[in-house]
Amino acid sequence: MNSKKTKQLFTGIGFISPNICGFLVFTLVPLVFSMILAFTNWDLKLHNMFKPENTIQFVGFANFVRLFKDEYFLMYFGNTLFFMMGIPFGIAGSLGAAMLLNNNFRGLNNRVWKMLIVSAILAASLAVLMAVGLKATALTILITTVGGLMLIGGAVGGSTVYRTLFFLPCFTSGVAIFLLWKKMYSPVGPINIALAEPLNNLSKTVNGIEPSTVQIGFWLLFALMLLILAWRFKVINHKWRDAEIDSMSVILPTLFTCIPAYFFSKVSPVESVKWVPLTIAVVLLIACIINWIIKKQDFDSTPWKGHGGMIVGALVFMVAQFICIGLALVIYNLPEMATNGLEAPQWLADYYWAKPAIMIMSLWAGIGSNNMLLYLAGLSNVPPELYEAADIDGASGFQRFSSITWPQLAPVTFFIFIMSIMGGLQGGFATARTMTQGGPAGSTTTLSYYIYTEGFNTGRLGYASAIGWGLFALVFSITIFNWKFGSKYVND
Amino acid sequence: MTKQLNQKEVKLLSKMTKVSFLKTGYIHLVVATIALLFSIPFIWMILASLKTNAEISMTTWIPAKLQWDNYKEVFRVLPYAKFYWNSIFVACWVTFLQVFTSALAAFSFARLKWPGRDKVFLMYLGTMMLPGLVMMIPNYQIMIKFGLVDTMAGLIIPGAFSAFGTFLLRQFMLAIPASLDEAAEIDGATKWQLFWDVILPLCRPGLITLTIFTFLGAYRNLFWPLVMMKTVDKYTLPIGLLFFDSTRGNTTHLMMAAVTMSVIPMILVFVFLQKYLVKGIQLGAVKG
Repeated sequence: MNSKKTKQLFTGIGFISPNICGFLVFTLVPLVFSMILAFTNWDLKLHNMFKPENTIQFVGFANFVRLFKDEYFLMYFGNTLFFMMGIPFGIAGSLGAAMLLNNNFRGLNNRVWKMLIVSAILAASLAVLMAVGLKATALTILITTVGGLMLIGGAVGGSTVYRTLFFLPCFTSGVAIFLLWKKMYSPVGPINIALAEPLNNLSKTVNGIEPSTVQIGFWLLFALMLLILAWRFKVINHKWRDAEIDSMSVILPTLFTCIPAYFFSKVSPVESVKWVPLTIAVVLLIACIINWIIKKQDFDSTPWKGHGGMIVGALVFMVAQFICIGLALVIYNLPEMATNGLEAPQWLADYYWAKPAIMIMSLWAGIGSNNMLLYLAGLSNVPPELYEAADIDGASGFQRFSSITWPQLAPVTFFIFIMSIMGGLQGGFATARTMTQGGPAGSTTTLSYYIYTEGFNTGRLGYASAIGWGLFALVFSITIFNWKFGSKYVND
Repeated sequence: MTKQLNQKEVKLLSKMTKVSFLKTGYIHLVVATIALLFSIPFIWMILASLKTNAEISMTTWIPAKLQWDNYKEVFRVLPYAKFYWNSIFVACWVTFLQVFTSALAAFSFARLKWPGRDKVFLMYLGTMMLPGLVMMIPNYQIMIKFGLVDTMAGLIIPGAFSAFGTFLLRQFMLAIPASLDEAAEIDGATKWQLFWDVILPLCRPGLITLTIFTFLGAYRNLFWPLVMMKTVDKYTLPIGLLFFDSTRGNTTHLMMAAVTMSVIPMILVFVFLQKYLVKGIQLGAVKG
């Protein structure tokens, strides 16, 4: 018996031995090595063959202490978080794309030829329309032809063809595509060429009307932001009172909801309304607490119940509020900017625009990504009986989505969310290296690019390892946090 | 009576199909428009690769005359064929080795019983969580020790082992009924024969999926070649393109030709093998 077990062990080990050797040499040893490295002062500028008198020394936690004091680390961490604000949009886009692709395209399959003719006529008529009515450029004709071809392809091949087209940006994403976008963002690139005329018209229009009229837009967006704020508190209030969420789960979402209001007090161009959002937030919070004390329901409430869902919601609407603030600021300053004529941004060469530029590209590549495929798989697993029942009950499209699709997809969303956060924290190396070299003035340097420059450009191996482990600790703790509190939301 | 009912039915049916026909056509239109919007950068890429450099910054998208020579020019100004060859050479070796070692390990984890197996597997899974970046610095030092910096072997060997591949193939192998193993054992097959003749042919979809994944991963890998390779002639495509950008960044038309040539193989791979890819991506997520 014992010899049989030994034999089993040897066969088992024999089969994994090639893999385990590589695992030891390229994973385990480096792991231990880098952990040791993080506690040394190894710097290739100090410790090299030309300076044999310097020896590598253990410096204890000095690298980690330095990490906390390093203002660059904080700045690059901030950059990383800024880039991650695009994640909710990417996920929402993926979900939307998946729902579009999940439609039944097969309905026309027995009429392939009919559809072919229809789309051919469509393409031809569009082309003629463009040629006659609009500027008869070769480009419009080309674009319509390509679009018509896609339609025909879709009519014949169904959703597979569309899925391929949606997925291509993500699939080809890499150095080549980053370089393509770098060229598109160049000051003489197609984007700025296309923007020149609309911006010119816009500045003419803005100059033509009173500044105070334009600034109505600022007040509208300001009101919208306040509405979102109030609405978030209404949601928190209801769920808290009805014990749908635990008291502990109120803290972080409330905080997230209030951050934009605080931010507004810093950047508000109108001095008199500076503190209005934050005051409203505090008042509403107090109202929520009073309401909870008076009317709270005595249902069972497990600690941290509903935490994940609330946080996701709060984050999404926090980003929405930030967008409101940003747009409001732009509109407020528009008349002044337009006096000299508006110009398209310098994108990658501009300190403030470099990050949004990269985020736009990531969104383009991120909508039709793996997440879309996961959502597609998730959608095909939703039992059709649920939709049939909803149809019988006369549910509207939004109700179908909010009470069937979204809850049914919660596990998928949760998984995608966690993976995106993990990826987001560690991401940004390839884009920074290819498109901006981390610049201008470090505005696109993420933590991963910082590790690269520290480790391979400046040669501070010890410190680079410490940053790496700091990043890992961050990723790990966030993931654990998500699993612990988010999975409850999913399983509810 | 029946006739009337049939007529009613037919009417209803035709109405329904009419609606769905219209609706389907409408959705087709929406989806095709979005797909078109997504492909605009690709359209610009191809058009720009056929322009002269002066035409790039003009407002017209369509080149006055298609400059097919740009593609030839890329091969003249850069060792582009070398980059291609290096990329494919490295990707092929990495794929072959990684699929092979992963299949062996996956077989051991999925079909063999030995003490401590599950613990070892958990350890494997755990390493998938570790940040690759942390390991890059020590790995580079190891490569210096082995004298593998700036060699093809230095690119290939670290890529030959993968916890993800092991995990993916294990998923596929677990789906194969266990009775096959017993049958093979009764027939007197050794474990190797079981692996080679029974299990491997049966998890062919998994092998193909992993092959595509690994190949593409190696084909577009940026970090490791960037760190490792010093000689231009040994560059792979991604760092070759970076090199292009830093040395001749102002020749946009040539660069777009180079970019087009590096993207098109990927598009072809996806179009022909997407069945396996999509399945693999969806399976890879099951671990969650």
